[in-house]
Amino acid sequence: MNDRIKRMVDRLKVDKYPLCIEKFRIATRTLAETKGEPYIIRRAKMLSNVLNEIDIFIEEDELFVGAGASKPLGLEIDYEYGTWTQDEIDSLKQEQYSITHEEEAQLHELNAKFDDRNLVMAIGEVLYENEHLRLFMKSGLILPPWKGKKVGSGGGYAQSGLGLGPGFFLIGVDYEKMLNEGSLKIISQADEELEKIKYSNGESLEKQEFLRSVIIVHQAVINFASRYAQLAETMASIEKDEIRKKELKRIAKACRWVPANPARDFFEALQSFWFTFLLVCPSPTSAAGRFDQYMYPFYRKDKDTRKITDEEVLELLECLRIKDIKLNRVSGKANRKKNAGMAKWHNWTIGGVKCDGKDATNELTYLLLEAAKETKIPHHTLTLRVHDNTPIELMQKALEVVRTGLGMPAFVNDKSYIEFFLKNGMSLEDSREYIMTGCLDGNIPAISRTVSIGMFVVSLAFDIFMHNGINPNNGELVGLKTGYVEDMKTYHDFKSAFYKQLEYLLNLAGEKNNVELLAQRQLFPDPFRSSLMKDAIKEGKDILNRKMPFENGSVLCMIGVINVADSLAAVKKLVFDDKKVSMKELKAALDADWIGYKDLRKMCLDAPKYGNDDDYVDLIAADLYRFIEKTLAKIDTAYGGKIITTAISITSHQPGGALTGATPDGRRKGEILADGSMSPMHGMDKKGPTAIIKSACKINQDSYQATLLNMKFHPSSLRTDEDLKKLSFLIKAYFKNGGKHVQFNVIDKKTLQEAQAAPEKYRDIVVRVAGYSAYFTVLDKEVQDEVIKRTELSLV
Amino acid sequence: MNKRIYYLKNIKGFVFDIQHYSIHDGPGIRTTVFLSGCPLKCLWCQNPESQELYPQLFFRYDKCIGCGECISICTQDAIKLNGNVVQTDRNLCKRCFKCIKVCPNEARTVIGKEITSGEVLEEVFSDKMFYHESNGGVTLSGGEVLLQPEFSSAILELCKSNSIHTAIETSGYGLWESMKKVLTFTDLVLFDFKHFNDDKHKKLTGVSNKVLLENAKKIWHDLKIPIIARVPVIPSCNDSILNINQTANFISTELDRSIKVHLLPYNSLGKAKYKNLEQPWNCFSGTVPSDEKMNELRNILESYGLSVKIGG
Ligand code: SF4
Ligand code: SF4
Repeated sequence: MNDRIKRMVDRLKVDKYPLCIEKFRIATRTLAETKGEPYIIRRAKMLSNVLNEIDIFIEEDELFVGAGASKPLGLEIDYEYGTWTQDEIDSLKQEQYSITHEEEAQLHELNAKFDDRNLVMAIGEVLYENEHLRLFMKSGLILPPWKGKKVGSGGGYAQSGLGLGPGFFLIGVDYEKMLNEGSLKIISQADEELEKIKYSNGESLEKQEFLRSVIIVHQAVINFASRYAQLAETMASIEKDEIRKKELKRIAKACRWVPANPARDFFEALQSFWFTFLLVCPSPTSAAGRFDQYMYPFYRKDKDTRKITDEEVLELLECLRIKDIKLNRVSGKANRKKNAGMAKWHNWTIGGVKCDGKDATNELTYLLLEAAKETKIPHHTLTLRVHDNTPIELMQKALEVVRTGLGMPAFVNDKSYIEFFLKNGMSLEDSREYIMTGCLDGNIPAISRTVSIGMFVVSLAFDIFMHNGINPNNGELVGLKTGYVEDMKTYHDFKSAFYKQLEYLLNLAGEKNNVELLAQRQLFPDPFRSSLMKDAIKEGKDILNRKMPFENGSVLCMIGVINVADSLAAVKKLVFDDKKVSMKELKAALDADWIGYKDLRKMCLDAPKYGNDDDYVDLIAADLYRFIEKTLAKIDTAYGGKIITTAISITSHQPGGALTGATPDGRRKGEILADGSMSPMHGMDKKGPTAIIKSACKINQDSYQATLLNMKFHPSSLRTDEDLKKLSFLIKAYFKNGGKHVQFNVIDKKTLQEAQAAPEKYRDIVVRVAGYSAYFTVLDKEVQDEVIKRTELSLV
Repeated sequence: MNKRIYYLKNIKGFVFDIQHYSIHDGPGIRTTVFLSGCPLKCLWCQNPESQELYPQLFFRYDKCIGCGECISICTQDAIKLNGNVVQTDRNLCKRCFKCIKVCPNEARTVIGKEITSGEVLEEVFSDKMFYHESNGGVTLSGGEVLLQPEFSSAILELCKSNSIHTAIETSGYGLWESMKKVLTFTDLVLFDFKHFNDDKHKKLTGVSNKVLLENAKKIWHDLKIPIIARVPVIPSCNDSILNINQTANFISTELDRSIKVHLLPYNSLGKAKYKNLEQPWNCFSGTVPSDEKMNELRNILESYGLSVKIGG
């Protein structure tokens, strides 16, 4: 990390992030000015006005430019999702956000003036008129629970990024088109297509409006870059420092040329990429796609002509991380919990196979990893695609980054993802180009789309089932009356009744998703993103209005499946197989949150648990996952096609757990659920990493759009190169046997201290003691202290 | 099932831990089986629970709430209240383990158990896919594997017949007959060298080093089984320049220069376990060797043409 990067990293350390209202102001004004015009044109003009008017600036040391808000490190209020009410703003101010008095007052004025619809209103109008869905929305089966028709779950979004919000869908835009063809080309293509239009059918007017809006936004994009060029030229003219002057001139030159025209070198390509990325933000899930692939030709050419060195490329890639971490996001209180604070998933996908099946690793793959390792900045996210021929050196390099404690890159299995897309009818070549969007959901750039990600709390569905359809949190009948569990005679009856309940609730979730999809389609046309999808100009349709070759119109994400599987196993074992306890007693214990049932709770905790390579429970988990996937595959979505399942918890296992009562796996009421989807319940895996992997391999993960396995390691297992190599083998073994994803947390001092204080939550931490490893929480205090001391030392 | 396999699978022995994803006990990803019982009494022993062959009481004094439940159930009068926690007279204890069941706070557990070689195989075999991917396998460690030769060799033979790479970790202290039996099915020996000077060796470990040095030579020259030398580095016990030179000299001339050496720095994490076993602490107050020291020792070994790794 050179001095410039060090300075830039230092400047990231601020106490407060400013909330900005400039975008909201421009949007509100535009909506007023354009009343009566086609919605997509209004949205195009809104974007265009933002790009023409928003304050721009170039910060010290910056090598390429483009900020995501009107103030450095700022977040612009998004009008699209919901309204920021006073209590929500107050809660933000208590955290790391600030807003001036003046602007706060103006925000309320804007709120009052805003007479268009936002997503919450649009969905609320439908869902609150339907009894079933209203109770469903209130229950929190899909997180977070709704509080009312107009406020939804409370709060809106504030995000950095200059594009049209709120950017909920998961797509990969065609960056190559921007880098290799540029905005001018897109405009001229749209012009040509416009001329060809014959008004002979219903879609021709839609096409005309779409093409006009594409032209409007790409003109604005060119203008936006010119504004930066102008600014850089002005700054260069008064700059005393010769080196900085040169840098500013380079910026000006690039911004005069891209993204209007095809990039001519690596630097211009990067600047063009960044402008494009700024416009596919705001979105917590904007994906950069296969950055190491589409940037490689520019890198190669510059390297061959000695125009650039690896040090310079590394510096630029480090600047890119700094740029990305400045793009922030915050949502309402309830959503903040679901996704833990400023969480975002700007995913860069690296490695994997090329479309011809050969290994895609190149110098940029390594340099991107090095940039993460040097800067230790947690964004952007890196995901490494792994296949049979991924070089072991690359795996090792990736694990060196993991070892820093960054928790990245995540490792995903080419085989499993490619299989998934093939199964969904994509060609082999296209499937091999898949990228990570969001956390880990695969998509194929420009040709596939995933919309509307709902977090469905399976453990709450189980709780509702245990109460014969009643939501125990509020006494409302949200589910089916599947019967009193005390009356169920066999495990088969019990399981079948639960599955029936689950099927019913999943169908409600499907309906909820559809309402959201249709509202989004109406409210959020986005000509910029749409123009970067395959055959966009020819199709002449907004992305939300066209059928993509691969549709995952609606994806539902399952939370707490492992806890339910463990619970089913405990019930099967204790109530039905061994008959050690009656269902009545178990139910009473659960309702009492185990108070007065210590022995019964211990029996439940000792029942077989997923994560220990024990078929008794692992097969129950596999069956449950299969049932969910098959059930959803029968539910229609508003975009055509069926729901496809995904299983990543992000941080929803916390609020999901908070809504779920005590469960037969021994978990207490409100306690957090197992994280990810393939991870065991914390503290329940007793046999180390290989047993976890073997359990996870029993689940058919290929049918899921994503799964997630989190593993924890103490730094003592990652000390030498050989340790890392062995971990690579562990990953490869997992992937050869059906795994889809794994990521690693390196246990730090803080975690160990927490584990000392609350051992029951951290029973799974393994540390290497004397000659062999042991579970940290079973060690004596003084040994624990010693381990904590050593943890700091062994971290690199 | 073939008769021999049946016979092998039913041999019983004592084990105190089986550890998966062992990455410091030989090549690849391994499963390490820790056998109970050890004829040596190394001053710095970090696994005192491994010294006894039979299962024993493991007492988590920090979990004991002094409720006295265990006192009432013990027919041997072995348990007494001592302040807030109890104390067990290990000489009186008959290891009936009744007290474990009544303890409300899991303060009393057993360490070590009797198990058949077939059960060990099953546990080891479950990680086959990882051995396959990483060229790993099983490592028998201890305690001292040579103390249970029938059991050890049965496990190793069973593993071999399932194409699992086998290693043992040994102090080398045992009858050559036992050694030979165990080594018939062993692909790699991790051989501990604790001290070269016999007097010192006796003082530090309780036994002479003559037999084990002889055994090392026979393993290498007669049986031609690959060896990795493991040298624990215990400050002020065996980390003298002289000792390391002698060790290096022995390995490189009496055995072979191609033998890899692992230098294992001492750490004091095993200390608390003496309390758990209610054994008097032997007053050994080892310190952790510094990085400089470790590097110095490595340089010495390397000057003999040996290749050295710090850590296992
Ligand atoms: S194991 Fe038996 S003899 Fe020993 S202390 Fe416990 S109850 Fe007493
Ligand atoms: S029964 Fe357990 S907690 Fe009670 S005195 Fe004995 S060891 Fe301590």
